[in-house]
Amino acid sequence: MTFAGEWLLIDDVDGTRSAAGQMAADLTLLDEVAGGAPPALRLYTWHAPALSLGRFQPDDDVDRAACDRLGVEVVRRPTGGRALLHGGDLTYAVVFRRPRGAAGSVDMLFRRLAAALVAGLAQLGVPACLGRGAGDVGPACFSAARGADLRVGDRKLCGSAQLQREGAVLQHGSVLCRRLPVDEADLLACTDDEARRSMRVALRHRTVTLEELGVPVEPEEVGAALISGFAQTLDVKWRSRVT
Amino acid sequence: MEFPQDLRYSREHEWVRVEDGRARVGITDYAQDALGDVVFVQLPEAGADVAAAATCCEVESTKSVSEVYAPVSGTVVEVNDALEDAPEQINEDPYGDGWLFVIEMSNPAELDALLDAAAYEAFVSEP
Repeated sequence: MTFAGEWLLIDDVDGTRSAAGQMAADLTLLDEVAGGAPPALRLYTWHAPALSLGRFQPDDDVDRAACDRLGVEVVRRPTGGRALLHGGDLTYAVVFRRPRGAAGSVDMLFRRLAAALVAGLAQLGVPACLGRGAGDVGPACFSAARGADLRVGDRKLCGSAQLQREGAVLQHGSVLCRRLPVDEADLLACTDDEARRSMRVALRHRTVTLEELGVPVEPEEVGAALISGFAQTLDVKWRSRVT
Repeated sequence: MEFPQDLRYSREHEWVRVEDGRARVGITDYAQDALGDVVFVQLPEAGADVAAAATCCEVESTKSVSEVYAPVSGTVVEVNDALEDAPEQINEDPYGDGWLFVIEMSNPAELDALLDAAAYEAFVSEP
């Protein structure tokens, strides 16, 4: 399988879209690729904290009152997986035509794109690798490092999820740059304070940020490393699009 | 990889078993293998009208959501509710207990556009 060729590069690191607008932008790119447009990589940040839920994640996983109180927008992702708090992360979205045969399997696609992300993170001095641990599947995405995710040691640094539609694939994911004053434990429904405390402890133990690794955390610098990783690993040539 | 001879296949990797003028539909062994472990299925509503090649169902596996298309047009008359509690049946028995839904066909001639087992096997074997 090859990804080689010309890709659109869309820099939305200073974007001002709402959380729903970010998801809509990713879906628009997917539809464009399904319609014959070239593959694309979009990098973006979130101008305010937002909690994204997986496509089929139950609504009652979320503590809506807490989200409202803390000013966190809740948005539904078109992709799979569980809840993820955005705001301290750099998000990437990759869209491309699904390759035929075994190269187009979910697992193989996660692996190929992980190689690009790993190469990019290596340029920041981060020794990430693809997570294979099953872990518990709780409501918070980052509480378990699964096959789609990158970890450093046994702690998760980057979670990713996919949507496959009309022969095209959207994969987006978040690289944890720094922690926010709130975390998923403040925003997800918990039976009691002890459950909330346990979730927070698990999140802290099972995740790591670039800041905690002592490497650059500014989105522009992290984004440049990821762009380089994609180019180097997938033999991509970039064509920029101003949004 | 299994390709049962008595089924018809879409290029989007659904299978059809014709039963008394109705089409029982699932995803192929090839498709379930490509998806990996299925953890959730959103089935169409019984009574829904579906059009050939239109999205009518979604499957989640390993943090990936994939659309499933109706291989023929008609009305959904039965859905496999057992998948709600046991979506892994799609992986374990894609041509049996892992079926998705049954369509009362409005245009059975659409079956002619589907592939037979040999043609589908050749299709998925193309480089």
